[in-house]
Amino acid sequence: MSAVPQLIVSTVLLGGIYALIAVGLTLIFGIMRVVNFAHGEFLMLGMYFAFWAFTLWGIDPYFTLVVAVPLFFAVGLGVYALVMRGVIHASHNVQIFTTVGLSTALQNLALVLWTGDFRFVRPWHSGVVLRLGGAAFNLSQVVAFTVAVLFTLSLFAFMKWTHAGRVMRATAQDGEAATLMGIDTDRVYRLAFAIGIACVGVAGVLISPLYSVYPTAGLQFVLLAYVVVVLGGLGDMVGALLGSLIVAAVEVIGSYVFGSAWKEVIYFVLFIAVLVLRPAGLFGQRGAEALGV
Amino acid sequence: MRRHALAVLIFGAAAAAPLAIRDGFFLDSLILILMWGAVSGAWNVAGGYAGQVSLGHSAFFGIGAYSAALMATRWNASPWLGMLVGAVVATGAGLIIGYLSNRLKGPYFALATIAFSQVLLIVASRWRAFTAGSEGVPVPFRPGFWTLGFASKVSWVYLVLGLALAVYLVEVYLERSRIGYRLAGVREDEDAAEALGIPSRRLKVMAVAASAALTSVCGTLWAQYVGFVDPFYVFSVDLSVRFALNTIIGGIGTAMGPFIGSILITSLETYLRAAFSDVRGGLVGIYLIIYGCLLIVVVRFIPQGLVGWFGQRFRAMGFHARA
Repeated sequence: MSAVPQLIVSTVLLGGIYALIAVGLTLIFGIMRVVNFAHGEFLMLGMYFAFWAFTLWGIDPYFTLVVAVPLFFAVGLGVYALVMRGVIHASHNVQIFTTVGLSTALQNLALVLWTGDFRFVRPWHSGVVLRLGGAAFNLSQVVAFTVAVLFTLSLFAFMKWTHAGRVMRATAQDGEAATLMGIDTDRVYRLAFAIGIACVGVAGVLISPLYSVYPTAGLQFVLLAYVVVVLGGLGDMVGALLGSLIVAAVEVIGSYVFGSAWKEVIYFVLFIAVLVLRPAGLFGQRGAEALGV
Repeated sequence: MRRHALAVLIFGAAAAAPLAIRDGFFLDSLILILMWGAVSGAWNVAGGYAGQVSLGHSAFFGIGAYSAALMATRWNASPWLGMLVGAVVATGAGLIIGYLSNRLKGPYFALATIAFSQVLLIVASRWRAFTAGSEGVPVPFRPGFWTLGFASKVSWVYLVLGLALAVYLVEVYLERSRIGYRLAGVREDEDAAEALGIPSRRLKVMAVAASAALTSVCGTLWAQYVGFVDPFYVFSVDLSVRFALNTIIGGIGTAMGPFIGSILITSLETYLRAAFSDVRGGLVGIYLIIYGCLLIVVVRFIPQGLVGWFGQRFRAMGFHARA
């Protein structure tokens, strides 16, 4: 029982980071109706960005963050204009393979430019261990969690209270009706994609002190983010938060009970089970998956 | 015969080439082109003809590769027997995935198949007692037909050519038979097909299972040819993407599409591998960057693929030969 506080703290810290990755994915899906299979690659690019800033100029990842937000927002705008815009009304298969192609290209771009070596970002704070009531965690984890939660909350506030947020939600509910009300849906999609990419880029910078950086680093996180997003219901942002906590709990408790080697099996099985039994997610509306929305 | 003109041309050239050219590098490329063409054709059975786009087909490929390799190393069984066992196991797995395809559409199905192949990857790389874990399984080389050990690459060309032909014939059957037309009906409009009394669910499950079994057979032959099974390769998402990529670039839902795609992509890959082999390992990734961009361009501008695109141009010019 002495492990319980540690398990809870680990779950919450991990859940906060997963939430930031998943929120971008679910935002893009909810508004554009596109499953972004290249989402993990932007996470990987965020990690590399932090790595190079730290290695070349000694800039701490948390300062890199200030540049990363506008940078990844701009990357999102660019990718939207070049790649996504043309397929937004295309069939599922075209969208799947467009983002799969993007993922393959980005992964291997990283491989060619920076080789397949595992890289590490180890700023001073990744070695600082904090203790609180029987639980130990390191400072980087706490900062990553705090920043991730702040980002996620400000995104929620943005969606809820700003005009742009309302416009985006309107488009998510009914794109055609939104167009009839004079909303430029193309701009909405562009904004949604750019925000989604900015979130995941920031997440990449935040987790760089905690994980190793390599060209396919995005894959494991993005599969995880899909688990989160499907659990919460694709497109459902509050669901994504709860899903993150569930997946983090499964991961933390699973590796405590079965050893870290098998934790992935547990959440993939959970993932398939949720897809089969409750494809609209634990909190989503039934039938969403059959309509493809 | 005109309908099969492209197939006769390509498979005929593949059959004739070893008679004239004995260069090891060339024969190796030819084997890989036919091999990846055959697996992509197997993917096409589910992804193209039944419209169930899977991104986890490497699961079935790996099942085929592992069954034969493990049975040969552990029980000294013939790889042919391993191939059969692999096909049976893959059919079983295909039934499960096919069942999923009835519950999940589009991206949901693709995600579920990725998760499935990842589960097999983790099991294969972690269950050390049974699969030898992440080190992989070396496939013993024992010369002879029964043990699937051919020292000569020419024998391999004909063996893999036979496999490619078999896959091609399955695809042609799916284009021309009653079952194929029904499947096309289900793919284009499932509700309409149901209304006409077509058992759409059963057909989709059957197509995915058949595709899985064929993919597994390819996996066995590939493992026997290469001589080593690496879990991180045979169960990778990259491999699943490769099957889909060949098919889409060549022409999804066309019998020759996967082979045309494989000719283009595999030869580009082997060329770049040879060209950059002594420069820097990472540069080999350039061909994958090209793939990725090609995929984006093809699905956007010629979603019917090269075979479909050229077929249209030919018909527009008054030719009626089908590819």
